[in-house]
Amino acid sequence: MNTNFDVIIVGSGPAGVSAAFPLLEAGLRVLMVDGGKQPDVLTPEADFLSARSNDTDQWKWMLGEDFHTLKMRDAVSPKLRAPTHHYVFDNFAAKNYIESENFIAIGSLAKGGLSNAWGCGVARLSSEELDEYPFRKEDIERSYETVTRRIGVSGANADDLSDYFGLDAWSQPPIPMDELHQRMIECYSLAKKKGLAVDGFRLGRSRVAVLSRDLDGRKACDLSGNCLWGCHRKSMYSSSDELSFLSKYENFYYQSGLIVKNISKNYSGVSIEGMQGQGCKVFLAKRVILAAGTLATTRLALDALKLDAKVRLQCCPTAAFLLWLPRMLGAQRVNSFGLGQLSFSLKLTDGISAFGSTFSTLGIPVSEFVRHMPLRRRFSVDLLRQLLSSCVVGNMFLPGSLSSTEASLDADGALKIKGGYSNSVNSLMSEATSRLRKSYWKIGALLLPKSFTKAQPGGDIHYSSTLPMRPRPIIGETDANGELVGLSGVHVVDGACLPSLTEKSHTLTIMANADRIGRILAMQMTGKFSK
Amino acid sequence: MKVMITGATGYIGSCLTHQALKCGYDVIMASRQKPSIFSAQWLPFDLSSDKSVALPAGIDAVVHLAANTTSLNLLGEECEVIAARRLIKSSQEVGARFIFISSQTARPDAPTAYGRIKWRIEQEVLSADGWVIRPGQVYGGELRGLFGMLVETVRHLPILPAFLPAPKVQPIHVDDLAEGLLRVAKQVDVSPGVYCLAASAPVSFSTFLNEIAQSRLRCWRGFIPVPIVAINALALVLGNSLQTRLGFERLRSLFDLPIMETASNLKDLGLTLRPLHSGMHPSGNDRRRCLLQEGRALLTYVLKKPPSSTVLRRYVHVAEQMRAGRVLALPKLFLSYPIFLSLLDESVWPDKTMGEEFSWRLDAATMLAEANPFGAYRFLGLPRKHGILSSLLSMTNAVLCEVFWRILRVIFFPLIRLTLGRAKCIV
Repeated sequence: MNTNFDVIIVGSGPAGVSAAFPLLEAGLRVLMVDGGKQPDVLTPEADFLSARSNDTDQWKWMLGEDFHTLKMRDAVSPKLRAPTHHYVFDNFAAKNYIESENFIAIGSLAKGGLSNAWGCGVARLSSEELDEYPFRKEDIERSYETVTRRIGVSGANADDLSDYFGLDAWSQPPIPMDELHQRMIECYSLAKKKGLAVDGFRLGRSRVAVLSRDLDGRKACDLSGNCLWGCHRKSMYSSSDELSFLSKYENFYYQSGLIVKNISKNYSGVSIEGMQGQGCKVFLAKRVILAAGTLATTRLALDALKLDAKVRLQCCPTAAFLLWLPRMLGAQRVNSFGLGQLSFSLKLTDGISAFGSTFSTLGIPVSEFVRHMPLRRRFSVDLLRQLLSSCVVGNMFLPGSLSSTEASLDADGALKIKGGYSNSVNSLMSEATSRLRKSYWKIGALLLPKSFTKAQPGGDIHYSSTLPMRPRPIIGETDANGELVGLSGVHVVDGACLPSLTEKSHTLTIMANADRIGRILAMQMTGKFSK
Repeated sequence: MKVMITGATGYIGSCLTHQALKCGYDVIMASRQKPSIFSAQWLPFDLSSDKSVALPAGIDAVVHLAANTTSLNLLGEECEVIAARRLIKSSQEVGARFIFISSQTARPDAPTAYGRIKWRIEQEVLSADGWVIRPGQVYGGELRGLFGMLVETVRHLPILPAFLPAPKVQPIHVDDLAEGLLRVAKQVDVSPGVYCLAASAPVSFSTFLNEIAQSRLRCWRGFIPVPIVAINALALVLGNSLQTRLGFERLRSLFDLPIMETASNLKDLGLTLRPLHSGMHPSGNDRRRCLLQEGRALLTYVLKKPPSSTVLRRYVHVAEQMRAGRVLALPKLFLSYPIFLSLLDESVWPDKTMGEEFSWRLDAATMLAEANPFGAYRFLGLPRKHGILSSLLSMTNAVLCEVFWRILRVIFFPLIRLTLGRAKCIV
């Protein structure tokens, strides 16, 4: 048993990595452990259209040599079916003892966690949104900047969403849009000038953690259109790419392929116990940082606290839809950026707002759309080969406070999650549909009838707030430093400790908060201020 | 489990040996010559020998397959019976089950010596509480035995006789027979007696020959009617010895084969026989061929042109890896004219699971069809620009086609249901 670590970080996802930097800078001995899974299917090197037209082996990355895509036929999103991402989601629930009911439980045992397959959406919480957070707003401000600069965010430009995202000062310029999105934003500015735009609907460039300028060995996006499958230029941020930077610190230790089963407090600190291959391993440190992802972290924390109460889990009610730009019918297929190009913010009743982005349909297999068409397969393909080049797909998120999902430990120590939404979600969704339809119609896009599809709870994969930070926390909650009440020395830095979940993309906030907690711990443990 | 097989190098014997070894049995091969292909223990055994065979201890069952199958009776009737009697005695001494492979022709007044000998040995076996197996028309596997002869005949004759009135045969694939024999040897609840193993529904001999032509040899053969009366008359003219030499005797035994009641025996052994068309395929199973046909139909339906062989093979791999190799038995119309698949959707199937299976396979076919360069062209409309008008026309066309096939589906609904009602996923 090794006892000389200052801090053990469980998980190498965005939260774990962000917490690690300030601790390492302060000279603390840090051990990071993770599930260690790595990619086993190569992503295409050529741009999407060339690969599709020429690569006779494209089935290997589109379907997988083990026909992974077919095995995952009933999974919620194309991403979960992509063989190139199989390793990201593989075996997570089973190895972490997570069971779910009416809830899509996703997590990762990969090096870099879910950031290997994320949508790269980033945003900063506004000062009102931070009201619920039990610390001074300035404390996280600095962390937002550090993290944004470190991971590389693009999309900076003066538009209607500049304040909403609040990141332009530290960001790179936007990645070029495709023709369809260009048209939409032009129509939007025109409609606004003429006073035709729908009230409460704001449109702007998406701010994404994808490079438009080279950064630290990662290359800028070249619009190859492979975003869904994985970017071999590493333009999209994945925390696994930061492990090489962490490894440069002499005081950084890394144990890959170690899945933590439990944590416990003892006289000299906190110990973690987990399985590495066939063997059981135990490590001891002064403090443990949980960054295993909300679901796994929640199980570890509840298990260590021996808490059998139900905790509330916030997740964003989400939906997807298809927009058609009739004027663009017959447009040629062109490689384009595959993640969010334009984002919207939409005000709904009761002060609730919705957020979403629109994407090019190019990188997504047409079969994914065929499944949802009310036509026979043959004629669906006939129709979609004409239609899809003038369509964009959109998603929409509502605030996590609308979820009524609960999680608790069962007798065997597994985390049981029971999904649910509050009653108002249905009416909010219909309101959002009709308002989006109107708003997009004003800018020349038709929200295709019946295309608006609500996902099952958990489908957003924005899980949070099971162990929320509170000014006066009780057991099962955390304090301003993410430290668990009832288990001192154990800090939660991932989604689990967020006090609330807005409709905005929450990853950057998790990272900034992890950075903030990392700084505080570095200061407390070394007794001096970090740089 | 230790089994001794006499005639282990013969048509049925070699197949049985192979299967027994594959199941991990300890096999002792008893034959005249030492077999070179199997690495099993060998015991010299000759029907014409006048010495008893000393069986090694620990044998659980003796399967007696050795027989004189040539039409020329070199051994004499008595010789085979005596050899069998000795073997039965030796088996009783070591406490092994005695299983004798008889024939459908076995009866006291059989037209051939073969049938009469079988009958006499059967009596010996039954009185010693042994097991008698009467197989039907054994086919499949290597081209040996009567089956080998029939295949060679069909291969060489462009026109085949269709005897009138049509004699009936009850086929059984040699692998199925071997499986049946192993079950008799192994299962304790199978009581001694006569077991008839063959397809319970007889088929005409011409059908059997035609299946050899189509499935085994992949060729077409014409049939001319030959009245049995004419053969019988010819036999009278030829006289007894010439009859035997020319194989007429064998032919005439075919004409008066008794129909065997096999269903209950098959049930006793829990044996399911493969259908004739499947077993007649050179691989002993036409599952793959059916999967190829199914894949070709589904992929052609989605792609609007026949798929490349690599995509087609991939479909078969999917079915084998993920659907246990089961075939979705689509009626022939859909296999030959894939456009008619537009009549089918999940809800048209009378059986819900079949409907779901159909959807699954169509989804699989769609994904497989897309993931290759031609699929990119078909699904993405590459490489050209389409223009508003041509796109609009194509889209209208797609919708009209949809409407057209939906109307047809409504009109022909009862008929489609009826056709599909018979279809089953076959293993």
